[in-house]
Amino acid sequence: MSNQSGILVVAEPKDGKLANVTLESITQARALAGGPVSVVVAAAETAPYVAAAGRYGADRVYVVESPEAAVFRPGPFIDVVAAAVAAAEPALILCAGSPDGRDIAAGCAARLGAGLLVDITGLEAKDDGFVTTHPCFGGTVIVDKDATSTPVVATVRPNVFAREEAPKEPEVVNLSVDFAPAGLLAKVLDVVCENLGIVSLEEASVIVAGGRGVGKAENFKLIEELASELGAAVGASRAIVDEGWVPHQIQVGQTGKTVSPQLYIACGISGAIQHAAGMRTAKNIVAINRDPEAAIFNFADYGVVGDLLTIVPALTEEIRKRKAAS
Amino acid sequence: MNIAVCVKQVIDTEAEKKLDPASWRLDRNVTCILNPYDEYAVEEALRIKEAHGGEVTAVCMGPKKAEDAVRKALAMGADKGVIVTDDALAGSDAQATAYVLAEALKGVEWDLVIFGVRSTDGETGCVPAAVAERLGVPLLSTLAKVEVQGSNISVHRETEQGYVAYECPTPAVISVIKGINEPRYPSMKGIMGAKKKPIDAKDASALSLDTSQVGQSGSKTRVLSARTPEPRKAGEKIEDDGTGAQKIVEFLASQKLV
Repeated sequence: MSNQSGILVVAEPKDGKLANVTLESITQARALAGGPVSVVVAAAETAPYVAAAGRYGADRVYVVESPEAAVFRPGPFIDVVAAAVAAAEPALILCAGSPDGRDIAAGCAARLGAGLLVDITGLEAKDDGFVTTHPCFGGTVIVDKDATSTPVVATVRPNVFAREEAPKEPEVVNLSVDFAPAGLLAKVLDVVCENLGIVSLEEASVIVAGGRGVGKAENFKLIEELASELGAAVGASRAIVDEGWVPHQIQVGQTGKTVSPQLYIACGISGAIQHAAGMRTAKNIVAINRDPEAAIFNFADYGVVGDLLTIVPALTEEIRKRKAAS
Repeated sequence: MNIAVCVKQVIDTEAEKKLDPASWRLDRNVTCILNPYDEYAVEEALRIKEAHGGEVTAVCMGPKKAEDAVRKALAMGADKGVIVTDDALAGSDAQATAYVLAEALKGVEWDLVIFGVRSTDGETGCVPAAVAERLGVPLLSTLAKVEVQGSNISVHRETEQGYVAYECPTPAVISVIKGINEPRYPSMKGIMGAKKKPIDAKDASALSLDTSQVGQSGSKTRVLSARTPEPRKAGEKIEDDGTGAQKIVEFLASQKLV
């Protein structure tokens, strides 16, 4: 039908490293085989990203090194991926399920006239294409989808696929790209980092989240301390975001972020449907809540009925002791 | 500055979502609301209009009843609406939807198109970028702050560690996140006034749409099957007797999570 084959993974550069979801996508792409696994990366300096792509087993890396790609802008990045697609002729293009990845995937699919499969949590090869799995309506319905033409573009939900190193020396191809003028109209004025060292919610394997049960804004530090001890990201329910106790960037749920960590510790969160929509796919859920009837206990793997103001600090201390002993 | 706000009607979060097993389309015969994220988009458009003048047009694709979502935007203060309704559009995926919206926007006067960051039902967050690509104008998505200076916009795009500040000339397409503003409630006067504001209803032929690119058959993705996941079961639940924290650690250790 077509001679497109292999998979192109669109790298998400992140402070000198490749985002975990990129490494997960490369690993999953290798498992499907059926052609070469290529990676395309655009940045001001690409060497660390090329090395990481090779460490995870990319056969080929398309590189665009340009000051125009130092900070994300949709236009130039879509230009880069379009150029890589022309060079690699892949059957499938995998982008990160992140704000940048979604902009690239949607823009690319529109430019290529390709199908777009979003937020996938499963990927299988079939005779003439791919079948993807994707949770919708807050994880209450699971849908299998495919595309009716190739190539197809997909965004991959972080933290779902495994990542495994499989070092090889990839072929490096430098691409020259003429950036479309419209995309360059957006000028970067400033990059502001206020929360350096923060663990990304979407990529975190452990999340500690607080809700109204923390009682007041000052108590939220108990959640942060436990998270810090666990190397976890911090999340919150809508209730306390709306109270202004915490910034909305950390809201988990329907009007916040959707997360799939290995472990989600919900502290003082009732577990309303809007919150569950954002964290139902966590592999393990631990709940601490004063109210024995709280909805969260209906789907938590381990629940403790009690006061988080005493349990959370005790838990932080237990973890600290355990770490010191090991 | 003239602004087009793209709005979508979505199913209320509390309502049960059912896919028709014959078409895999969503049963929309339940309570529907204006997509919560779009309220931020409408509010942002109104604030820009109040500060800088211009007209706000709410643009929507959906079934007839989606007119309620447009009316809500009008009740909040938008000046007029455009709704694209056609049986041929039912089942359109994100890319097909972007094609229809881009064509509809070509018939509206705007300097800036504002979207909510995503819908709470489709949840793709991909329509703004696809519309920008089709219109050939720059996109800036997931914005936490928007300021208008003459014919330029100056914006903050949220990142995990803070934000990136951009400046961009119009015409442009943007999407805004929760927290950028506090959407107003429509006043009684607004709700009454909205009934008199014009809504231009268009079908596929009025927009000269290529019907091979829309609807279920024109979409390049298709649903093969849908299922309800195994419901999560309640695990063990204990009362804290002072050893709750220890017991959590024991549970985490048993699952190899610490």
